[in-house]
Amino acid sequence: MSESAVTKMPRIKESRDGRDWTKHLLILAILALEFLPFYMMLQISVKDNQTFLTNTWLPSPPNTWLWSNYAHAIGLILPYVANTVVVAVTSTLAGLALALCGAYFFARYRMPFSGILWSALLVLMLLPGVANIVPLFALLKSFDLLNTLWALILLGITGAQVFSIFVFRNFIEEIPRDLFEAAEIDGASHFQQLINVVIPMSGPIIGTLAILQFLGNWNDFLMPLIVLRDPELFTLGVGLIYLDGEYIKQWGQIMAAFFIASVPLIIIFLFTMKLFVRGLSSGALKG
Amino acid sequence: MALPISNKKALLEWKLYLFILPSLLLVLTFAYYPAISAIYHSFFRWSGGDAKEFIGLENFRMALSDGVFWSSFVTIGILVIANLFKMIPPILTAVLIHRLKSDVSQYWYRVLLVLPMIVPSLVTLFIWKFFFDPNFGILNNVLNITGIKTLLVHIDKFFHWGVIHEGVPIAWLGEPGLIIPSLIIWGFPWIGAVGVLIFLAGLQSIGTEVYEAAELDGVNSFQKFLYIELPLIMTQVRLNMILMMIGTLQGFGLQFLLLGETGGAGGRGMVPGLWMFNRGFIAGEFGYACALGLFLFVFILILTWINNRYVRVEK
Repeated sequence: MSESAVTKMPRIKESRDGRDWTKHLLILAILALEFLPFYMMLQISVKDNQTFLTNTWLPSPPNTWLWSNYAHAIGLILPYVANTVVVAVTSTLAGLALALCGAYFFARYRMPFSGILWSALLVLMLLPGVANIVPLFALLKSFDLLNTLWALILLGITGAQVFSIFVFRNFIEEIPRDLFEAAEIDGASHFQQLINVVIPMSGPIIGTLAILQFLGNWNDFLMPLIVLRDPELFTLGVGLIYLDGEYIKQWGQIMAAFFIASVPLIIIFLFTMKLFVRGLSSGALKG
Repeated sequence: MALPISNKKALLEWKLYLFILPSLLLVLTFAYYPAISAIYHSFFRWSGGDAKEFIGLENFRMALSDGVFWSSFVTIGILVIANLFKMIPPILTAVLIHRLKSDVSQYWYRVLLVLPMIVPSLVTLFIWKFFFDPNFGILNNVLNITGIKTLLVHIDKFFHWGVIHEGVPIAWLGEPGLIIPSLIIWGFPWIGAVGVLIFLAGLQSIGTEVYEAAELDGVNSFQKFLYIELPLIMTQVRLNMILMMIGTLQGFGLQFLLLGETGGAGGRGMVPGLWMFNRGFIAGEFGYACALGLFLFVFILILTWINNRYVRVEK
């Protein structure tokens, strides 16, 4: 047995090296397919329909690029992007700030009622939001919040609470208790402890949750569709649906609009890529 | 763990309750109140305004004899099963990346996987809608170039489906018989970066010595997957599965964006969530929509319970 193992060893090692190449090829093929929508969006965005039909797959030569597609698309979609930025940034910042406070409450002491409150929050993870849409609409109507961005911001903040509190609580409980006690001896209030102990130590997790939250808000279309009526208030979700319905003819312009809708995310990703990959890879969100 | 605290000390720390108060108020107003209101209004004929009429269990009786509602559950059932299979590519991709020897390439593949996320998922969805376009869409283009179209025409003739014809562009979202296949094909190759990264995180706990020992025992790569890698990511697989099921069951964004509020040609893409949305916001039958939502809620609750009870993973 041991003999055959010894003689086999080098060959196995070799074959593992060899097989790595097939793995690389497979992964690259998968990645190519993953990038296909992005590639198509980019290369179609500078073509007109005629060029696209004659040359579907390859980018057209740079001197024939139709920048007018972008000029047109910017006019169409920039107001939507601006509204979406307002909603997504506000609800992400406020949502995570409140979630941090909430998690601090659960993580520091086992206060009376904290068990009940905790279960009350967790139950919401099971509650399908879809059953709530109709009464939610009526509620927003009675608050006079229909057709306002405030409605979306408030819902965004609420949506951030359950999952973020859940993740933050686990994280804050991992922080060594000595740090809190030292701060307390120095006369720090709970709020100061949150600012000076918790936040400096939870940078990566705050970043990861912020990105997830922001992405969620950026991609939301259901509530905007129900809440918003005025075209000036449209966020990307509704805006793109209207665009998709109206402009059946010029794909180049639509793709240019799609690209502009992605630009803010591209900027954010450029700055936070490392954080995001690390945050998810560390298994912080395993659950 | 949170520190236990005596009632007396808790009184002194009363300010801590202020930390949870805002979250609590928001959740009560925008999550609990609508849920309770949904239960209440499911007993009424209600069109969203102040006027409503108590009709007892009539809405529920209507739902039970609602043919569209029942067939929408069949559709969503098919989609859930399809989504179960769609969990395989991300797992395999994670394993592939994990088995690479070079840490540097592992890192870069991870980054590259995340990169496509810069396209908002909403935009990806619309690009796919464009891919499905009979004349401009690249899906038909690919099928024509590779000759798969001819194969599909023959298969279609053999089984008498009558959905794919020679010389006619395939109407992916227009032909009733092709709507469910389109909903399944959507997003090919079905690899979400978040899923892959979470699986990779689980795989990271396997040391190289485990692999070396396995190789000495002559374990082949499929056995490695089955006995070493899969058990280690079972927690993540299970979690993803539960989230996927809940998400699919209550989701209707995909169907709404690709097919519209009627569920496409012949209503073949109608799913329970979309039917609820349709009854509420298109037909104005808010009370009935609440009752449909409750059915959906109970259904999801039962499934979650079954999941927790029977899909156990040994630690």
